[in-house]
Amino acid sequence: MKVWKIFLKTLREMLRDKWILGLTLVFAPFFVFLYWIILSGGSTSYTVLVINRDAGVQQADGSMLSSGEHVIDAIRSITYADGSPLLKASIVTDLTEAERILKNRGAAAFILIPEDFSQALQQLESGDRSVTTQFTFGGDLSNPYYMVAVNLALMAVDDYVQEVTGQQPLIGYVEEPLGASAARSEFETYVPASLIFAVIMLIFLAAMSVAREIETGTLQRLQLTPISSLEILGGVTGALVLIGSLAIGLAFLVAVLCGFHSQGPLWVAIFVGAVSSLSVIGLGMIVASFTRTVSQAFIVANFPMAMMMFFSGVIYPLPKIVIFTVGERAIGLYDILPPTHAVVALNKVLTLGAGLEEVVYELSALVILSVLYFGIGVWLFKRFHLRSG
Amino acid sequence: MTTVLQARSLTKRYGQLTAVNELSLEVCEGEVFGLLGPNGAGKTTSINMICGLLKPDSGQVTIRGKVITNGDASTRARVGVCPQNIVLWGQLTCLEQMQFIGEMYGMRGKTARERGVKLLEELDLLEKKDKLARTLSGGMQRRLNLAMALVHDPEILVLDEPEAGLDPQSRVLVRDYVKSLARQKTIIITTHNMDEADRMADRIAIMDQGRLLIVDTPEALKHTVGEGDVLEIDLEEGSMEEALTALHPVVPQVSATNHTLVIRARGVVEQLPVVLDALHAVAARPGEVRLRANTLEDVFISLTGRRLRE
Repeated sequence: MKVWKIFLKTLREMLRDKWILGLTLVFAPFFVFLYWIILSGGSTSYTVLVINRDAGVQQADGSMLSSGEHVIDAIRSITYADGSPLLKASIVTDLTEAERILKNRGAAAFILIPEDFSQALQQLESGDRSVTTQFTFGGDLSNPYYMVAVNLALMAVDDYVQEVTGQQPLIGYVEEPLGASAARSEFETYVPASLIFAVIMLIFLAAMSVAREIETGTLQRLQLTPISSLEILGGVTGALVLIGSLAIGLAFLVAVLCGFHSQGPLWVAIFVGAVSSLSVIGLGMIVASFTRTVSQAFIVANFPMAMMMFFSGVIYPLPKIVIFTVGERAIGLYDILPPTHAVVALNKVLTLGAGLEEVVYELSALVILSVLYFGIGVWLFKRFHLRSG
Repeated sequence: MTTVLQARSLTKRYGQLTAVNELSLEVCEGEVFGLLGPNGAGKTTSINMICGLLKPDSGQVTIRGKVITNGDASTRARVGVCPQNIVLWGQLTCLEQMQFIGEMYGMRGKTARERGVKLLEELDLLEKKDKLARTLSGGMQRRLNLAMALVHDPEILVLDEPEAGLDPQSRVLVRDYVKSLARQKTIIITTHNMDEADRMADRIAIMDQGRLLIVDTPEALKHTVGEGDVLEIDLEEGSMEEALTALHPVVPQVSATNHTLVIRARGVVEQLPVVLDALHAVAARPGEVRLRANTLEDVFISLTGRRLRE
């Protein structure tokens, strides 16, 4: 079977081309490892600068009430489920110093505790409901950490005030986390996206493998034999899917060694990865169709790679630009990018504990994209490289 | 002799350039057919059309009566092509790629491997069978390139500039090997090297600027520019025009290229004293004198007015 022979030949070549193989296999595991190091295996701690101007107040028993100090303790006591700190309170003397640190992104936000804070609380506790005091907070509003840090810090202040004054909140809030998301460390939430990197990187290997056959003239040698374009690309694709699955497997292994726990069945995640690989390889074939050399393929592949990285929600979520709807499903512009579906499916499986039946939509979309891109790739390849001039 | 391959009015254009213009030729079973012409004459384009890699704008190629320009892969597989450039899979060993390409032609793995070993042995590459192709020397890669064209035992072998880039040792080896294949296979050789064509081909087609100028055996072609040998005399002093005028009554077939007189005649050596006397009479002083046989270069010059390498 010629497809099988092409598969073996391509695999053999890839295994001997240690540089490209190494980069393809190591990229995603390296990212996983890097995230683990950056996040110390846990989650981000948001630093809040505190300017404590609270003068304190003497209580009836003669002791001093320093509510500002207590608020700082309350901020520091907010932790993740595993006990690691969510907020870090760092004391600064004045606004100038706070601004300098914030400009250098040394902290996410600042909070200024007013001079009369303790006094206001004492009055409130004694029943004077007319008293008010004012906290000032701020920071670089374009910093994505700002909103999280400020909200959490103000929540800590509110909780403290309620505790001290005995006031009951009008509305009680109950948080219901999806799946096991509450128990996930930030490192674990990054793992699905890191795995997608392994799949995205396949576009280079796919485009360059095929372009090499064009550049060296071996494609023309194959063209002299009774073989079809589908057989050539089918064999190459088989080898690439295997390498892709291996890269995903390695990334999984590194993630598990770094403390990652999959909430759903691992085989479903690997299956999602393999199907995603197919569609990315299809895109690689399209790239190869327009190129004649390995360096051209590398340069051109950067465009779809960047599209997949930045517009599929792998790095950060983007608002959906709806093109049309199918039943109740809104199909967005970025849905043409395979990682869009892969990252949702992997997140469902790995973080929310979903099984195969819960990712059927994403898998179907990936299969459709695979067939579409692979079909276009074969057609273009045939048109530009296998049809006699 | 049976005609194996026939090209009828093959034409290929690239924009304004007509690379091959109305090429028609017939290649007979078991002959070595040479396609001679300078670089850019249209030889490789013709070969690519003949082996089905390139679709002609008009005309067709048949192998034993079957048209191959319609993408019939099984007919194309009857041709083995050794391209001008080295075309190998650098990350495969010699034997691996022999087996692989054999399998692509539909051979069983074991058969392709055995055939590969035989060919590597014949081309003095057996010791290198397990070496990656990219690690071989240029000469070895060229020999492997040739072996790749033969692995499926094709009826017709097309060699595009087979001696280009070969070291002297490999050149002799390849030439002897191709000669050993003559009569067993129909061989088409393209070359711009007249000596190579003269030594190897039974018949030669001369091409220039996409056109076929003439087809015949090397001897018959050389006869077209006159019988006998060629005497070349470099003129050190004196007028070339006066020398030509003085020589015409003595030796009718005389011409000049740059500072060299070219005299073509039967028993031209015997006429040398008369020639020197005629030159002396017009005060022309001869320098180096050379005697040689007619070559295909002379044929090309007589047909185009240019040298093959110009």
